[in-house]
Amino acid sequence: MNPAAVSLPNILTIEDDPVLGAYVHEHLGRCGFQVTWCQNGQQGLQLARSQVFDVVLMDILLPGLDGLSILTHLRQHHATPVILMSALGAEADRINGFRLGADDYLPKPFSMIELRVRIEAILRRVALDRRPLPTQQAMRDDARTLRFDDELCDVVYQAQWAGLTRSEYRLLETLHRNGEEVLSKAFLYQHVLQRGYAPHDRSLDMHISQMRRKLKAIGYSEREVRTVWGKGYVLSGHDEAV
Amino acid sequence: MKLFERPLQRLPGKHSIFWKLACLLIAFCLLMIWLSWSWGRYMEEQNAFLADKSREILRGYAAGAELAFSTQGRAGVDAWLQLMATRESTWVGVIGNDLQSLSSAPLNDKESQRLTFLRGLDWPVSRHVKGLPWMKVPFPVDPSVGSLVIELPQRFMPGQYQLFWRVVTNGMIPGLFTLLLCIGLYRLLIMPLNQLREQANAWRADQLNTRLSHDATSRQDELGELGRAFDQMSERLQGTVVVQRQLLRDMSHELRTPLSRLRVACDSERDLTQLRERLGREIDAMQRLVDDSLQLAWLDTERAPLPVENIQVQALWDMLSENACFESDWPATRLPCVVGADCWVRGNLNALAQALENILRNAIRHSPVGGIVWLDGRRDGEYWHLWLEDQGGGIDEGDLERIFAPFTRLEGSRPGDGGFGLGLSIARNAVQRQGGSLWAENAGQGLRVHLRLPARAD
Repeated sequence: MNPAAVSLPNILTIEDDPVLGAYVHEHLGRCGFQVTWCQNGQQGLQLARSQVFDVVLMDILLPGLDGLSILTHLRQHHATPVILMSALGAEADRINGFRLGADDYLPKPFSMIELRVRIEAILRRVALDRRPLPTQQAMRDDARTLRFDDELCDVVYQAQWAGLTRSEYRLLETLHRNGEEVLSKAFLYQHVLQRGYAPHDRSLDMHISQMRRKLKAIGYSEREVRTVWGKGYVLSGHDEAV
Repeated sequence: MKLFERPLQRLPGKHSIFWKLACLLIAFCLLMIWLSWSWGRYMEEQNAFLADKSREILRGYAAGAELAFSTQGRAGVDAWLQLMATRESTWVGVIGNDLQSLSSAPLNDKESQRLTFLRGLDWPVSRHVKGLPWMKVPFPVDPSVGSLVIELPQRFMPGQYQLFWRVVTNGMIPGLFTLLLCIGLYRLLIMPLNQLREQANAWRADQLNTRLSHDATSRQDELGELGRAFDQMSERLQGTVVVQRQLLRDMSHELRTPLSRLRVACDSERDLTQLRERLGREIDAMQRLVDDSLQLAWLDTERAPLPVENIQVQALWDMLSENACFESDWPATRLPCVVGADCWVRGNLNALAQALENILRNAIRHSPVGGIVWLDGRRDGEYWHLWLEDQGGGIDEGDLERIFAPFTRLEGSRPGDGGFGLGLSIARNAVQRQGGSLWAENAGQGLRVHLRLPARAD
C-alpha cells in the first residue's frame, strides 16, 4: 500500500505559522516523508519550480505571495500535486482553489491523521495514473459472478444489467480491483471523482448508496460495499460483515 | 431606461411612469401652443379698435363741425378748424361728400391723396401702418352733408397697453403654467426620492425599523417598484442585523463555556492521559460549535444559488440512516423509510443531506428507548411533501417555530440533550436556499418535521 516503497516521497510545505509549520514538518518526517519547509510564498514558488516534489502542501494566506497566486504561477508549467490548507472556511475559497488547479483542500484545523490520509491518497492516485492498467484478463478472473463491461460502464449479474452511472461504475470497479483493501474517501474522491474531499461533500456516499441499491435490485449479494468508519469503503464478502 | 436601449423590443409597461410623463408633456405643449395662439389673436383684435371714449370725443368733434357748417357755412368751419388747431396737434379737416374741403382752404395734393384711404370709427386700426391713421367721422345729424376727417391723435391710438398684454400672454402666463408643471413633476418624481433619501438617512442613524409610507409603496409605476424594493431591502437588512446581533450574543456565551471548561480541566486534571482525553473531547465539541456557527453565518450571507441535481430520497435516506445508526447504535430497522423509490427531488445534495441529517439527529436524540423515526411523504403537485416523525412526545405549540432559531435548546419536555441548538437552524437555512420550506408540528406521539421540496422535473 505504501507508495513510498522505492524512495521517500518528497514534500514541500509552505506554511508561515511557525508552530503549525514546525509540527507538520516534524510529524510528516516521522511518517516517512522527506519534508522541505518554507515560510515565505515567494521562496516557496521558487523551490517548487526548481526542484521536483511529489506533493506541495501550502497555506492560502502567506507573506510574500499568497497561496492562490503561487498555485496559478506553478500551474503554468508544473503538474505537481498541490494540497491547500486554509482556515478560510467558505465554500467559495474551496471552489476557487480547485478551479485554479489544487488537488485537494484541507480546512484548518485538521488532524495529522487527516493530513496523512490526504497526502497518501494523492500519492497513490499519482502512482496509479503512472502505472499501466492491469490486463483485462487478470481483472475479470475473479469476477465470475459479477461481470464488468468497460464499454458500457455497467456490470451484469445473471444476465441482468445493474444500470450504473459512469461514476458509480468507476467506483465499483476501483473497489473491485483493490480487492479486500479499505480505500480512503480521500483516495476515492481523488481517483473516481477527480477532486478533493470535503467533510460536507456527500457525493461519494450518495454514489455508494445508489450503487448498493442497484446491486441489490439485480440480486447480487455475494459481496457488498461496506463502510469502514473513519477510514473509507471496501468491497468484501458477506460473511465478513460486522 | 431600458426604453432607450431597446426601443423596439419592449414598450414600457402599462403602469410605467413613461406614459404619465408623455401624456403630461404632450398635453402641456398643446395647451401652451393653443393658449398663445388664441390669446394672442384675441388681444390683437381687442387692441385694434378705438376705445368708446375716443369715439365719443371724435363724434363730438364731428357734431361741432356740422353745427359750425350748418350755421355759418365755410366761415364757421374755418373758425371751428382754428379752434380745433389749438386742441389737437394733428391735421383736422371737414369735407363734403364730393371729397372737397368744406372750409375756405382747398385741400392740397398730399391731403387729397390721404383722403382716398379713410377709416371709419368702427374699423380696426392696425398698428403695423406707418404714421397715424386718418379717420372719417360723418356728421351725426345729416351724414350726407359731409364728414369730419382727422388724423387720429396719438392719445386716441388703440393698443396703449399692448406691450403689457404681450408680456402677460407670452411671458407671464406660460411662465406660470410651466411653474405649475414643474411643481407637478416635482411631486410626481422627486417627492418619492426624497422619501427614499430620508429612509437612507434613517438607516445611517441606525433606525432600521423605518419603512416608506403606504403611498410610496402602493404606486403602480417604477417609483413604486423602487419603493417596494427599498422596503424589502430594509426588511432584509434589519433581519440580518437582528440575526447577527443575536448570533454574536449567543456565540460569546457558547464560545466561553467550552473555554472555561478547558481552563478548569487544565487547572484541575493531574493525570496526563485523562487530561489529554478530556482536552480531545472539549476540542471536538468546540470545533463542532465553531463549524456549525460559521456555517450558519455563511448560509445566511451567501446568496449565490446552489448547484442542483436530482436526488432519490430513498438512496439519501439509506446513506443518512447508515451514518445515524453508526453514531447512535440504533439498528437500521428503527429508521424505516416509507416513501417509494419514485420519490425524486431536485436540490443540492450536500445541503439537503445536511438538513435531513440534522433533523434526523435531532429526532434520534429525543426518541425514547426503542422508539422509531420514520420518513414519509407524498407528491404534492410540483413538490414533494416529506415528513420525518419521531415518538419523542412533541413540544409546546409555542416552541414549534422557536426551535428553528439559532441556539435554541428546549429544556425538560423531551428526553435527550446535547448539541448547540444549531442543527435545525442550519437545516431550515439549507432547505430554504434550495427553494424548499421546513416547519414542525406535533403529531400523535412526537414531533413531525415537514419538508417541502421541488420535485424532479419529469
